[in-house]
Amino acid sequence: MAENPLHHFELHPIVHLSVAGVDLSLNKGIFIMWAGLAVTFGLFLLVGKLGLRLVPSKSQSVAEMALLFLRGLVDDFIGKEERKFFPFVAALFFFILSCNMIGLVPGSYTFTSQLVVTGTFAIFIFIMTLFIGFGRHGIRFLGILLPAGIPKMLIPLIIPIEIISMLARPFSLAVRLFANMTAGHTVLAVLFGMTLSLPWYLSVFPFGFTVAINGLELMVAFIQAYIFTTLTCFYIGDVIKMH
Amino acid sequence: MNKANDFQQGLGMAMRVGVEMTVATLIGAAMGFALDKYLDTQPWLLLVGVLLGGAAGCLTVYRTVASIPPAEAGDENNRKDEKDI
Repeated sequence: MAENPLHHFELHPIVHLSVAGVDLSLNKGIFIMWAGLAVTFGLFLLVGKLGLRLVPSKSQSVAEMALLFLRGLVDDFIGKEERKFFPFVAALFFFILSCNMIGLVPGSYTFTSQLVVTGTFAIFIFIMTLFIGFGRHGIRFLGILLPAGIPKMLIPLIIPIEIISMLARPFSLAVRLFANMTAGHTVLAVLFGMTLSLPWYLSVFPFGFTVAINGLELMVAFIQAYIFTTLTCFYIGDVIKMH
Repeated sequence: MNKANDFQQGLGMAMRVGVEMTVATLIGAAMGFALDKYLDTQPWLLLVGVLLGGAAGCLTVYRTVASIPPAEAGDENNRKDEKDI
């Protein structure tokens, strides 16, 4: 029996909930999302509970390295005086990373493979950058659509292009994470389907590939979280510095 | 920094550039299509939208690639040279 490799992306409500006519049913993805939150909070609470020392313990040095790395991103892309964005960026990174990682546990669910989820992240970030831009620069923020030193002849051409490239930002942010996660897990599902349907002496090969690709997916999970965070920093920095 | 880090950053850059190009073209096409529907001028704004979207994609990719500091490659060579000496 060949299983549809896209079947495991489907979500079905587990707990039916309806508040004032709005469907708030809980499905597997939401529970995994909570698990991701719990892992993120749990790890950092654990580090805090174990006690912060001047000579760091193993867990403390891992947490410190990760946070220093993210602070470096904020410093590079947004600026040293804008460290107030650091908690947001760090939370985003660890949440996406933990959810990507949880998705690799067999039997669990990758909720970052839902365009709704990544789209919500991306649109929230896009609207946030608009608010920051208009808040900092007022109406002059519209000048971001007009790069410096453009000949007057090109202005009617360059403004639509800049608008499109501005609007493409949240879409590319959302589609990148979604597509990478979906593609990786589809490949895993196809290979595992082969493992199940082939006779035992042949099924070793696809199973080996499944293991290997799971390793690759570990790297992709990390890199995608990293790219998502980097681009968030870049977009925030872009509207603050105006190019 | 080290090689693994360079590889990861390179991979990250490759993934950024590929998607940005596609998405910008699609956004341009979608905007053209929507304006066509609204103004009833099929298919002209769709064509213009695809071209503008492609241009926007190229511009984004150009900016992304131009933001890689060219000094980095030079630095590495210099460092290697120093080691050789």
